[in-house]
Amino acid sequence: MNRKLDYVRCHICEAVNYVDDTNRKCRRCHESITHDLRLSYHKTLAFLITAIIFYIPANIYPILISKQFGKTSSNTIIGGVIHLWDAGSYPIALIILLASVFVPLLKFILIIYLLISAKYNLHSSKLDKHKLFYITEVIGPWSMVDVFVVIILSVLVHFSGVQIYPGEGATAFGLMVFFTMLSALSFDPRLINHQKGDSSNANS
Amino acid sequence: MITEEELDNLIICKKCHTLHKRVPLSENKKAFCSKCDILLYQNSTNTLDRTLALVIAAAISLFITFKFTIITINIQGLEQSLTLYALFMVILEQQQYIVGMMFIFLIVIFPITIISSMLILLTLMKFKKGKYLTQRLLILLAHVRPWSMVDIFFISLLVAMVKLFDYAYIELGVSFIALIFTLILDIIITKNISFYELWDLHRKIYGKIDE
Ligand SMILES: [Zn+2]
Ligand SMILES: [Zn+2]
Repeated sequence: MNRKLDYVRCHICEAVNYVDDTNRKCRRCHESITHDLRLSYHKTLAFLITAIIFYIPANIYPILISKQFGKTSSNTIIGGVIHLWDAGSYPIALIILLASVFVPLLKFILIIYLLISAKYNLHSSKLDKHKLFYITEVIGPWSMVDVFVVIILSVLVHFSGVQIYPGEGATAFGLMVFFTMLSALSFDPRLINHQKGDSSNANS
Repeated sequence: MITEEELDNLIICKKCHTLHKRVPLSENKKAFCSKCDILLYQNSTNTLDRTLALVIAAAISLFITFKFTIITINIQGLEQSLTLYALFMVILEQQQYIVGMMFIFLIVIFPITIISSMLILLTLMKFKKGKYLTQRLLILLAHVRPWSMVDIFFISLLVAMVKLFDYAYIELGVSFIALIFTLILDIIITKNISFYELWDLHRKIYGKIDE
């Protein structure tokens, strides 16, 4: 049992608390701040695995289906990017590629890295890890751009002859972003702080 | 043991988690993190009144955004508008319940929850009433804030417009302008007030929260 006192930032009211690892409530807002680190670790991992599973259909199935006078065509995320690139819309193609393909992958890799380094006490800069985690939390929701675009198009291109529908890929993609966000929100920053010398917190 | 007062004078950077000691600032000065240069806290006067005014403006522009037409497209004489009503109708008709619900929560319900909670919170704090309710609203806001995606919606709207540009004539509606106002106001509000300071203010107005 670890009883080392530490400065903890309450995730609700942002107050600084000086507490040990037992279950504690924030001194200012009375919400709990020090949950079991092991629980945080496993929740993060479980949500991450769910997100990675959804990432596969999100890329295989079409995100957009269009019907033009009875003729149906569909586009996956990558297909859409290639389409835009060929049409000469390079900036938009890059935005979609970054937001839909690279941001989720980056987030997966970073969370996996943080979980591994929490478990095996990798020697690396805590400061850098906190910064990286913060940056992925900020850019994470931007992955939703493509899903939003499809929904906006499905509302606008809604005529008797021509119609656009969100495909199964859009649902999978939305769920993928949702679970990645849950994973990041479950990650307790103390998992970064506690890496050296008190592995009992993070080991399962 | 460290006293409450000493802890109140500490702040942890949200980005790099470096512990800082707060120093008294002169009026309208800001303090930044020594490691990553992000804003830590600021000393501004009349924060409550100023933020309340901004939130009222944001509430009005958010209402307009969802009440009227955002954009209208015209393809060879056929017109179709992007409105909240059209969105509901298309989701129901196409039975896109999962994506549809996500969209409605992230773009409509959460932003409305945030703005109306802020409105009630700041009004109550201004009149120093409702200790428990304001406390619950502050906690609710902390939970809902990561899930509002109006800014991402705006960029998505621009991408959709670029995609339609070759096929359709696009007309901007009243709500398009209102949406831009909402976003600008949202940025100013976030810059104006931090939740660290709102909780600080809460304690100054109502005293300590009982268990
Ligand atoms: Zn707190
Ligand atoms: Zn910092």
